[in-house]
Amino acid sequence: MADQKQSPEEQWRALATKALKGKDPESLNRKSPEGVQIQALYTKDDVEQRNTDSGYPGQFPFTRGPYPTMYTQRPWTIRQYAGFSTAEESNKFYRAALEKGQKGLSVAFDLATHRGYDSDHPRVVGDVGKAGVAIDSVEDMKILFDGIPLDQMSVSMTMNGAVIPIMAAYIVAAEEQGVASEKLSGTIQNDILKEFMVRNTYIYPPQESMRLVADIIEYTSKYMPRFNSISISGYHMQEAGADSALELAFTLADGLEYVKTAVERGLAVDDFAPRLSFFFAIGMNFLMEVSKLRAARSLWAELMKEYFDPKNQKSMMLRTHCQTSGWSLTAQDPLNNVIRTTIEAMAAVLGGTQSLHTNSYDEAISLPTETSSRIARNTQIIIQEETDITHTVDPLGGSYAIESMTSDLKERALGIINEVMEMGGMAKAIEQGYPKRKIEEAAAIKQAGIDKGDLTIVGVNKFINEKEDPVEILDIDNTDVRNRQVELIEAIKEKRDKVAVKEVLEQIKTSAESGKGNLLELAVEATRRRATVGEISTAMERAWGRHSATSQTIKGVYESVYQSDDHYQEIKHKIEAFAEEEGRRPRILVVKMGQDGHDRGAKVVATAFADMGFDVDVGPLFSTPEEAAKQAIENDVHVIGVSTLAAGHKTLIPELISILKNQEAEDIIIVAGGVIPVQDYEFLRSVGVSAIFGPGTNIPKAASEVIDEIRAVKA
Amino acid sequence: MTVSQLAKGIKAGKRRPLAKGITLVESSHPSDQEQAAQLLTHLAEDRDTIRIGVSGVPGVGKSTFIEAFGNHLIAEGHRVAVLAVDPSSPTTGGSILGDKTRMETLSSREEAFIRPSPTSGTLGGVAKRTRETMLLCEAGGYDVILVETVGVGQSEFEVSSMVDCFMMLMLPGAGDGLQGIKRGIMEITDVMVINKADGDQEKLALQAKSEYEHAFHFLQTRLPDIPVRFHAVSALKNKGITEVWSSILQFIDALKQQGFFNEQRMSQNLSWFKRLAEDALIEELWRGEHNREMAEQLKKGIINNEILPSVAAKKMVSIIKKADSN
Repeated sequence: MADQKQSPEEQWRALATKALKGKDPESLNRKSPEGVQIQALYTKDDVEQRNTDSGYPGQFPFTRGPYPTMYTQRPWTIRQYAGFSTAEESNKFYRAALEKGQKGLSVAFDLATHRGYDSDHPRVVGDVGKAGVAIDSVEDMKILFDGIPLDQMSVSMTMNGAVIPIMAAYIVAAEEQGVASEKLSGTIQNDILKEFMVRNTYIYPPQESMRLVADIIEYTSKYMPRFNSISISGYHMQEAGADSALELAFTLADGLEYVKTAVERGLAVDDFAPRLSFFFAIGMNFLMEVSKLRAARSLWAELMKEYFDPKNQKSMMLRTHCQTSGWSLTAQDPLNNVIRTTIEAMAAVLGGTQSLHTNSYDEAISLPTETSSRIARNTQIIIQEETDITHTVDPLGGSYAIESMTSDLKERALGIINEVMEMGGMAKAIEQGYPKRKIEEAAAIKQAGIDKGDLTIVGVNKFINEKEDPVEILDIDNTDVRNRQVELIEAIKEKRDKVAVKEVLEQIKTSAESGKGNLLELAVEATRRRATVGEISTAMERAWGRHSATSQTIKGVYESVYQSDDHYQEIKHKIEAFAEEEGRRPRILVVKMGQDGHDRGAKVVATAFADMGFDVDVGPLFSTPEEAAKQAIENDVHVIGVSTLAAGHKTLIPELISILKNQEAEDIIIVAGGVIPVQDYEFLRSVGVSAIFGPGTNIPKAASEVIDEIRAVKA
Repeated sequence: MTVSQLAKGIKAGKRRPLAKGITLVESSHPSDQEQAAQLLTHLAEDRDTIRIGVSGVPGVGKSTFIEAFGNHLIAEGHRVAVLAVDPSSPTTGGSILGDKTRMETLSSREEAFIRPSPTSGTLGGVAKRTRETMLLCEAGGYDVILVETVGVGQSEFEVSSMVDCFMMLMLPGAGDGLQGIKRGIMEITDVMVINKADGDQEKLALQAKSEYEHAFHFLQTRLPDIPVRFHAVSALKNKGITEVWSSILQFIDALKQQGFFNEQRMSQNLSWFKRLAEDALIEELWRGEHNREMAEQLKKGIINNEILPSVAAKKMVSIIKKADSN
């Protein structure tokens, strides 16, 4: 019996200690990757200590939601991100999805378009139509939205690099559909800062890119009052390895930088701030993710008030889109991904998102099929229509744990934001490489945790399914798409008034140089005259050049997690032995070919391999097979590791191998890693790839296999 | 590939044999080292080349500068090899060699050969390899060799002892004058380049340039009759690069006119010879099979207080003397 004089808290402590066989209950507390202390038990005292009253939804600081009635009045928008192949194919897909309960569109463009290249450009042979739809001109855009009334359908477009010509194509396509721009609703991502941090689909240098952001904010605030001029994105940061605090802090700091830019342009904060929107990733840390969205809203409101003091409440109100984490999906036992996505979707909804994309279970393997897209969409419909979650606003509000974690996470993120502000804001911090370094460190630590088994991923490092059933996949015949696009470009160029096009492209270049005028306005005119996406991009590139990033690589972080792990030491010895015999360390070139800029995988592999004892050459982003071969030969590497996520591997890897052969370098072996469907393994092996590492590969094991492969060639 | 095949391939300007040759030179394997020596003997020949050292602190923009500078050299009809000496050697593990990610256009040029070297081994080892790699590149038809080093430890001095002209890159941080420069750097600098003279920093860079000019005026420089040259450039915006190159050409001309050019290379070779002999001697002293045993015995003796270190040292060296008289 507990002592009568003990408080309930003391009684709990005594009971817990007993349950733990004498151990202090504090030992159950743990540190989250964010550095937030997670308590085994939260109580009323925790909420009182933190002094967090989250108040009412629809009221400053909006912790409980931007709107007073939230989903009780209207649920979030089901907005699935999709696009592939040609505009016709994507259009068909959109129309089918809208019929089956999807509410908004979200366009995925192919990488060639993202980087401002028309489909006929020699650098993008492997990229056209692959990870999104190929859009070269307004004609493609018109086909894309054929039969979809743009005055009624809200359209989200993930575009940052080639944001000017794509916005122009959208505006002109609507115009020719008979829809005036003030009726258009939707969102353009237009978030270039995070491109320089993680996603790498930029075109121009940072300063010039920021001007484009301002041009778009200015244009939309004048002509497109219902359109979100920017979607400030943390999504790609989490995907690149950031924890929730880093994601939150860097995203809001990006937001402040954009507001500052627009204010410096002469816009009044209340004229554009209500049309800023956000975009977060939702991963598997359920309670932390719910807290993140709540913390994001109140932190944004407070920061906006402090820095810009808007008069309109809406200027402080954070509205967000969310997407379930693609990184959390596994290629192994992929049906598990349905469950992961459901849990993540629940977190997004309980956190109060305004719209949501749920991933398809096969996205760690290939592009979504019809079946997997349907399941993904239904995940949201089921939460909306079969559960009671939408019947109450912010149902987790007031939970001791959620309120405490919201407050702790907020504090943590604010600390990072203040650091960034001391550096002079996000643009300056990015110049110094600070956010990138932080994110890459977090990624390397996380990977080591998984490889070591500290972090569980079912089907990958625990309860592995020995007999996997083959999964149906969607394969795009990229050559066909490209041929078709090239034909269309030629047809357009044939028919248009060449002098008029040349004239307006010249004006774009001049405006880029002088800093005067609005480039979106000029691009709209150029698009009316049938200038292509690539031509408009090039006109600006002629003034500004194409940006190439300086890349930093970290060392020692991966190893720090392992310290005295026996298995890891074994692999290090194996590599040392190789070096002793060979007279040099094994040398690997880690390279990405094509226009895909997602380099988390390549970076993590580079730093882990170096820690284990490889000499690692890192190739420039966006390499062609020729460039990769030249670098491999000059550095006389033993092996090239090709990191591929965007499905260009079937074109680019055979080309790389044939170039190596032509230069008598066939003894350099090729391994491939990333998102490669099992169906392609046979093909890749037949062209000469020595080993293939899918998502979830244990890196020390892969290193050991690579050494074996090198030895096999030498023998 | 045999040594003579390699030599033939290198002379024919082929990329693959040159790269393989460099691997031999870099190898720590005794049989590779022997082959490397043969290869270098095959290729020995006087060639009309310019060797330039490029140094500066991390963040000064070396790679960006070399990207712009190298492209300019190629436009002028040269073939350029870039070698990187990075002494920031980790104690364990391999290295990450990311240089080419920062020389994107240069690295894809047919007329350029870029080879960053891993950092394992001693600094002397790195320098040895770089010297010999340089000779291989020259044999392969590259007539301008850029040896890049990050300014850590003794690396600038190592590099300056193997090039014709040593270029120091500086940041525009004006105001602290010469205080920000490591001791001894002024004495080896032939050309000083203040990078990042663009945007807000242009003024600062120009100011820094005149401050350095003023400060150097009172210093003993490397060559009393050939003045040090100063430039403010923006590698990023490709401004001032042409001027740096013509400055270097003038410097080389002056060296040649005064007869210093060959003299310098000769004396570099002589001190290189001395250095190699010393290294080999030390290697022999501690690694020779018989010597190792002896050394172990003497060490034990010292630990047990049976022999004085000074006496032990004399005994140790006497072995080499004996070997000599045999």
